[in-house]
Amino acid sequence: MNRSPRRSLLSMLVPAALAVALAAASVAAEKEPIQARQDAMEAQGAAMKALGAIARKEAPFEAAVVRQNAETIASGLAAVAELFPEGSDRGAIETWARPEIWANRADFEAKRTAAHAAATDLAAVTDEAAFAPALGRVGNACKSCHEKYRRPKE
Amino acid sequence: MSRRRRRIAGLAAVALLALLAFLILTRPRAFETGPLPPASADLANGELVFRVGGCLACHAAPAGTPGAERALPTGGTPLPTPVGTFYPGNLTPDRETGLGGWTEAEFLTAMVHGVSPDRRHYFPAFPYRAYAVARSEDLRDLWAYLRQLPAVRAPGRAAEIRLLPLARRTVGLWKRLAGDPRPPAADPAQSAAWNRGAYLVHGPGHCGECHTPRNLLRIRDERRALAGGAHPAGEGKVPSLRGLVARHRYKDAAELALALQFGETLGYDKLASGGMGAIQTELSQLPPAELRAIAEYLVSLP
Ligand code: HEC
Ligand code: HEC
Ligand code: HEC
Repeated sequence: MNRSPRRSLLSMLVPAALAVALAAASVAAEKEPIQARQDAMEAQGAAMKALGAIARKEAPFEAAVVRQNAETIASGLAAVAELFPEGSDRGAIETWARPEIWANRADFEAKRTAAHAAATDLAAVTDEAAFAPALGRVGNACKSCHEKYRRPKE
Repeated sequence: MSRRRRRIAGLAAVALLALLAFLILTRPRAFETGPLPPASADLANGELVFRVGGCLACHAAPAGTPGAERALPTGGTPLPTPVGTFYPGNLTPDRETGLGGWTEAEFLTAMVHGVSPDRRHYFPAFPYRAYAVARSEDLRDLWAYLRQLPAVRAPGRAAEIRLLPLARRTVGLWKRLAGDPRPPAADPAQSAAWNRGAYLVHGPGHCGECHTPRNLLRIRDERRALAGGAHPAGEGKVPSLRGLVARHRYKDAAELALALQFGETLGYDKLASGGMGAIQTELSQLPPAELRAIAEYLVSLP
């Protein structure tokens, strides 16, 4: 069979276009986790602020409010497990994640799990006397990861 | 003499003069004292200076060192900087590996002039330009505090810097360009707490080491004191400590003092990364009145 030159051009273009589309998709997938993890962290930060106001007695202690905020934190920390893929120390948007995360993956993961456990404990607190120490353990867990694996934003 | 020879001789003379000038300009200074007047040490104050000075933030043992006492300044944690990596040393009174063999005058020379007992310059990665404006009673109490720590054997490690001896000597030139550090002027119109805060922030607290922007020679630009800028180890940006209330970072001095004491444990972010976490850990050990003084001074900065 004698293929027309046009057809053979097409047969070359289609795979090329596919490759470009795939590459674009993988760039999009790479950019997405940075935005997603920053959003999750922001939500955790807002929840910590609300809990801090209770600890400072600027807001009343209510077990349901504590649980709700602690659950926001715990689910954020669960979600970010998948949001630090290899190579996402840079991307289309700025990230403050330090490259050491990918060199010390097990340690990073241990810090994330420890913070998640502390947030789960906090969600179960019903007694005001146990609240401040449980909140302190969550905050220290955030701090110990940010000290090592986050660059200052400004 | 041929023209060529004369030229070589001329060049050699210029080089010799340049070398001489370099050696004179970079000569390390010692603490000019005879025997120090006797002092009765206030160990509680010594510990306060140790905490606010953040000695442990740089002189702690590396995490995970077997048998290392994290709470003692036994040194060895790498401190990466743009000029190379330092391993700040052992400050416990061990004779061989720590400060056990040092005299008090040698310690003061290190803290005030940044010069070692063998008369070599320390790099300003050791923030002696801030410690230099600390009151001498405070430095002497700090020395007394360090002397009574348990002596721990922990051999040091040389800094990883290219052309180290030459680089060390050149620090002398940098010191001249930077000029003598000056303590913050007391302001009688302000409260005692404000003045105390100004002293702690610009003196032993060395907050400006990170929060004050630097010029091309890495000398702090005091006209923009505490206005934030590039991180000293190239880790992003250090936030400004000016206008903290106007920018709604904190409601007032009382809240800032709480943030310094509790950091992320009360939900205050921006107090953990880029070295601030270790500083905040040390600040959390200070009496609340000292934190309140620091906060009162900071919130007054426009
Ligand atoms: C396992 C490590 C880890 C833990 C635990 C952790 N974080 Fe983070 N956090 C990071 C990293 C890394 C970044 C930077 C992400 C980026 O810029 O891509 C970050 C960023 C943030 C930010 C800034 C988000 C932004 O918009 O740039 C906030 C706020 C934050 N974290 C809050 C928290 C709080 C609150 C906790 C504890 C409940 C917490 N984080 C626990 C690693 C952690
Ligand atoms: C920002 C980090 C940092 C902080 C904070 C710091 N140091 Fe250091 N220190 C260093 C570095 C780096 C060196 C080594 C400098 C060099 O090799 O030129 C050093 C060296 C020293 C030395 C000389 C040690 C020797 O063996 O020659 C003494 C003494 C010392 N520091 C005391 C202190 C004290 C006391 C404090 C607290 C008030 C303190 N340092 C806080 C970084 C720091
Ligand atoms: C080793 C460098 C370093 C030193 C020394 C240092 N800071 Fe910081 N500071 C930082 C960095 C970096 C941040 C941002 C941390 C983050 O984003 O997690 C920061 C953040 C802060 C903030 C939060 C600012 C805001 O907008 O909320 C305050 C307040 C602060 N520092 C006060 C101080 C005081 C007071 C001192 C002196 C006792 C000091 N710092 C010494 C590096 C330093």
